[in-house]
Amino acid sequence: MSAAAPGRMLRSVAVPLLLIAIWYAWTTAHPTVRTPTPPKVVNAAIEMIASGDLPYGVLQSLGRVFGGFAVAALIGVPLGLAMGTVRAVERNVDPLVESFRPIAAIAILPLAILWLGTGTSAAVMIVAYAAFFPIVVNTVAGVKRVDATLLRAAATMGIDRLTVMRTVIVPGALPSIGVGLRIALGVAWTAIIAAELAVGAKAGGGGSGGVGQMMFVFYAYSIELNRIVVCMIAVGVVAFLLDRVLRVVLRRLMPWTH
Amino acid sequence: MSADTKLRLAGVGKRFALKDKAEAVAVQDFSLDIRQGEFLVIVGPSGCGKTTCLRMAAGLEFPGTGIVRVGGKTVTGPGPDRSVVFQQFALFPWKTVAQNIDFGLRSIGIPAAERARRIAHYIELMNLQGYESAFPHQLSGGMQQRVAIARSYVLDPAVLLMDEPFGALDAQTRTVMQEELIKLSRVNPRTVLFITHAVEEAVYLADRVVVMTRRPGRIKEIVDVGSVRRAENWDRHDRVEEVMDQASFVHLRTRIWRLLREQQAEHEH
Repeated sequence: MSAAAPGRMLRSVAVPLLLIAIWYAWTTAHPTVRTPTPPKVVNAAIEMIASGDLPYGVLQSLGRVFGGFAVAALIGVPLGLAMGTVRAVERNVDPLVESFRPIAAIAILPLAILWLGTGTSAAVMIVAYAAFFPIVVNTVAGVKRVDATLLRAAATMGIDRLTVMRTVIVPGALPSIGVGLRIALGVAWTAIIAAELAVGAKAGGGGSGGVGQMMFVFYAYSIELNRIVVCMIAVGVVAFLLDRVLRVVLRRLMPWTH
Repeated sequence: MSADTKLRLAGVGKRFALKDKAEAVAVQDFSLDIRQGEFLVIVGPSGCGKTTCLRMAAGLEFPGTGIVRVGGKTVTGPGPDRSVVFQQFALFPWKTVAQNIDFGLRSIGIPAAERARRIAHYIELMNLQGYESAFPHQLSGGMQQRVAIARSYVLDPAVLLMDEPFGALDAQTRTVMQEELIKLSRVNPRTVLFITHAVEEAVYLADRVVVMTRRPGRIKEIVDVGSVRRAENWDRHDRVEEVMDQASFVHLRTRIWRLLREQQAEHEH
């Protein structure tokens, strides 16, 4: 580690530290019973981690997020490739995608529960629905941005269409697909709160319902604001780490971009 | 069609649709035979349809009238027997130098050992040793275009098509590339159709120079450079500037300039 590293780390956490300081100063100046303060939140976090509820809840939610994200990617990427390369597919599918896109994931909650019952599969469906749109939209955009000269070059070398798809279109669209996947993973994690409403809220259920359901329970049943804030911070931290991991994976997949 | 004609464009015409149902005539009544082993350069003002001619030979565009034939067969689409060197290099950014050169070879089903031999040969010929596993963005423009030229030569095409290949390079790099292309075509004589708007480049490289008219593109005149090149033994000089100093070179260059300028005058009046 270089000598400048501690300084650089300090600079990159300066704004979060400042926000916490403001939060602390404000809540100390205006104390009320229910206002979450940094010490109360830290205590709640310690309790929730010690009891195992928070780690278990996060893991439960992560499983659903990965499940939904995988379903969205497995449908969204191939569909986006087809829409980007075959005019007829795009003409038929694009209006559907664009008219469903503004419908929030939480709006399909009743359908998900009706079709799949309350439980993990309904939650996965909601996450998949939310994550699908950024993936498909960015994949189509990526395919359209593939340099037309490269497609001509491949044609003049006698490369067949399937090989062109695999060796020219997919790698050419990959940076944009990567952006879509990163947005989708963020959206999937955002949707987990809506999705885990479908798991069915149970007071005292611990972490089994996932972090989203824990938040709902703390809001609607036990009214524990400090614990809600702990869950919010946990969601934010996990989202940040997931994005960092995905960025590293995508960089590895695209050695030619750096 | 004489036996040694490799590429024939006969009575070729091509129109493009413009806005408001108008049409532009890109090429009109264009007939040209390129002989086996000939280096033929088309020069013309920008927009004269010279690139359209090359694209029709490549099978990337099709003539509205007339026929395009390569080796006696009518062109119905692009194929590895007519590989193209593009102005913008068109290297695959995610493939290394060696993989770029290998790409077309794989598709025509050459065995692995033979592919490796051919790639090594062209890597050496184009001075790319040590860069086999570099990605294109790590190379200068001149080196990228060398990879693209190697990628086309390695396919051993019936006709090599070069669409202003040095147009995107700086003047010095361009000169070096012209010298290397002359050397390469001595080691590996190929049938080449080369497009440029640079008159010196055309005279330096060509066996014959086709001067095109402004739109609609027709053949204004075909200038025989090869006979002068051989008579004056230009090939004894290694450097472009030495050849360009020859009175015979200057004479041909001026003649082609005049042909191009005449049209400019016609166009302006």
